[in-house]
Amino acid sequence: MKRRSRTSILIVSLLVIMVLSACGNAANNGQEAGGSSSGGDGVKVTLLNSKGEIQQPLEEAAKAFSASNPDITVEVSLVPAGQSPFERASTLYASGNPATITMLDTGDVEKFKDRVLDLSGEKWMADTVPNATEHTTFDGKNYAFPLAIEGYGFIYNKKVLDEAVGGDFDPSTIRTRDDLENLFKQIEATGKKALVISPMDWSLGAHYLPLAYATQSKDLAEVDQFIASLRAGEVDLANNAPFNGLMDTFDLMMAHNIDSASPLAGTYERGPELLGKGEVGIWFMGNWAWPQISSFDTADGQYGFLPVPISNNPEDFGNSEISSAVSKRLVIDKEFSSPEQQAAAKKFLEWLVYDEQGQDYLVNKANIIPAFSNITIPAADPLGKSIQEHIAAGKTQQSMSTLPADHWAQLGSSMQKYLAKAGDRAGLITEIENYWKNVK
Amino acid sequence: MIKEKGWNRLLTRLLFTGPTLFAFVTVMIVPFLYGIYLTFTNWDGISTTQSYVGFQNYGEVFRDAVFWKSFGLTLQYVFFSVVLINAVAFALAYVLTKGLKGQSIFRAGFFLPNLVGGIVLGFIWQFIFSNVLVYFGQQAGIPIFSASWLADPDKAFWSLVIVTVWQYAGYMMVIYVAGLMGVPNDILEAASIDGANGWTKLRRMVLPLMVPSFIVCIFLSLQRTFMVYDVNLALTKGGPFKSTEMVSMHVYGKAFLSRDYGVGQAEALVLFVLVAAITLIQVYFSKKLEVEA
Repeated sequence: MKRRSRTSILIVSLLVIMVLSACGNAANNGQEAGGSSSGGDGVKVTLLNSKGEIQQPLEEAAKAFSASNPDITVEVSLVPAGQSPFERASTLYASGNPATITMLDTGDVEKFKDRVLDLSGEKWMADTVPNATEHTTFDGKNYAFPLAIEGYGFIYNKKVLDEAVGGDFDPSTIRTRDDLENLFKQIEATGKKALVISPMDWSLGAHYLPLAYATQSKDLAEVDQFIASLRAGEVDLANNAPFNGLMDTFDLMMAHNIDSASPLAGTYERGPELLGKGEVGIWFMGNWAWPQISSFDTADGQYGFLPVPISNNPEDFGNSEISSAVSKRLVIDKEFSSPEQQAAAKKFLEWLVYDEQGQDYLVNKANIIPAFSNITIPAADPLGKSIQEHIAAGKTQQSMSTLPADHWAQLGSSMQKYLAKAGDRAGLITEIENYWKNVK
Repeated sequence: MIKEKGWNRLLTRLLFTGPTLFAFVTVMIVPFLYGIYLTFTNWDGISTTQSYVGFQNYGEVFRDAVFWKSFGLTLQYVFFSVVLINAVAFALAYVLTKGLKGQSIFRAGFFLPNLVGGIVLGFIWQFIFSNVLVYFGQQAGIPIFSASWLADPDKAFWSLVIVTVWQYAGYMMVIYVAGLMGVPNDILEAASIDGANGWTKLRRMVLPLMVPSFIVCIFLSLQRTFMVYDVNLALTKGGPFKSTEMVSMHVYGKAFLSRDYGVGQAEALVLFVLVAAITLIQVYFSKKLEVEA
């Protein structure tokens, strides 16, 4: 009896060991396969995409790239909706399985700098547009590939505005808050609504409110200085002209908002629908919204940007400049990727910038405004064109792209409170000042 | 079986408990202890270095007014949800053990929401609250439905409670049905012969005999509602303006959004201790109510 039980224990434990080691082997095999494939039958590069709207063009670009580089395959995965690129990327790093190329927001790059490749020596460094790599350069080394220029402001539907002004609408006539109010009234006189405010925290907190910081001065160093004094608690926002000007404009927007009865009920999807169908004339958003607007388009693709005026003096900084900056960055992992994978990833980035096919995917299929001066293909959509025109005319201000990570969520909700009239401007100012005093 | 001693006995036991123990230790105990370690550091979730900061993170937890505010909100939410879940579940179970026609279909129907994941469920109800109800409200001119419930802090809170009740009532109902079927018929018959009416039977016989079911259901609903995250995320995202941000969501945001992993982890630990204390107290006191048939 005793012997039998011993034998059975032996057998069962052998089985357990076999099962466990089988798992182990499988894992090892996987790694070996990954390793050997980089030598023999091709390198596999993974790309974590955090711009949902370009997932399909990116996948197609990856296929086209593999077609001309048969030994490299690029696999594109997407950050799930509702997760930030940082959350996803840090989770992948924690599990030891990051993508070879990760698409991050500008402000996130610094956190990853110990884990990603120094790209200062890349060929494309010589062809970047101004201000493209400043925010991702630390100790003289640039760690990220600037992917796209994005801009935001008031998007207008030209058909609605033509009807409102009775003729050909000229965007350069809107230079002050009074001009804007007048335009709102003209639109309303045609029986339509003036504008829609999309109440998402990221729109209000990451795009609208930061205009108050960016319009402090034309000089970027002074804007940085302003942020530093906000952190130190030395700024008196209640008497700050750009901030109050911006909020006065916001009051005006609230008064003419199509959703003013229930301002927080709107969703992102409602904005492009109302604007595209011409039910409103103006929507505060950025050029990334083009795919959604185009699916409702009734104005023959005639859209453009108006700046958000912050005062009644047409000469003030911000009244004729729309906000734009390089917004998405690609970084290449150096911890878990093999040298072959890193080289392949670099090759892919170079392909995007210098290969005609790559440029075509970037500009025409993904509707991206590239941050490289050697790419001369004009933007494919009206919003991108409008931004390029503003850039060419020098009518842009730098978007705030290195705000603290939770700025959009915390102050976005403060802006929502203001939008819903659940709080007044004094309350908003207190919340903004307290946020900056406590943020790390 | 012959009694085994020493190593042999340990080996036999390990053989059967070993695999589970291994899984439990690696996926529960190790991360838990590592998490406790992280509360003493200033790690931001990604950097390769971190330094020891002592109890600073815990100090921060007690200074974080928003954490305690969302904990208070969670307490309210838990209270209303637990009461309503169990009241609705018991009522359903009571009706559905009376031998109605098609009662198994009803049981399956009420259980169904529990099979839908919290995220999907949240999105479905988001659509109902902000589109369907608003559409009917505006068509029929009912003021309470003409604006989205999710845009108003108070109504958004009640939307969360409603969806939670809808989600869990069916699950708890199944447990109550099992409990109700376990009430011996002989004592009920004896009570009928003694002239007890339905209400008296329910109060004096059925309810006391069902205390074990109540303990389980209240424990489960307490624990689940305290830790609510998915419905909260999909339905309201903590909005409007953070007025429905439950404590789990706040902790998650602290760790991953504000990139304050140490403080987030410390808050998670404080939350763990509080919830463990509350549920243990509940189980301890309700155990005392149990009776023998």
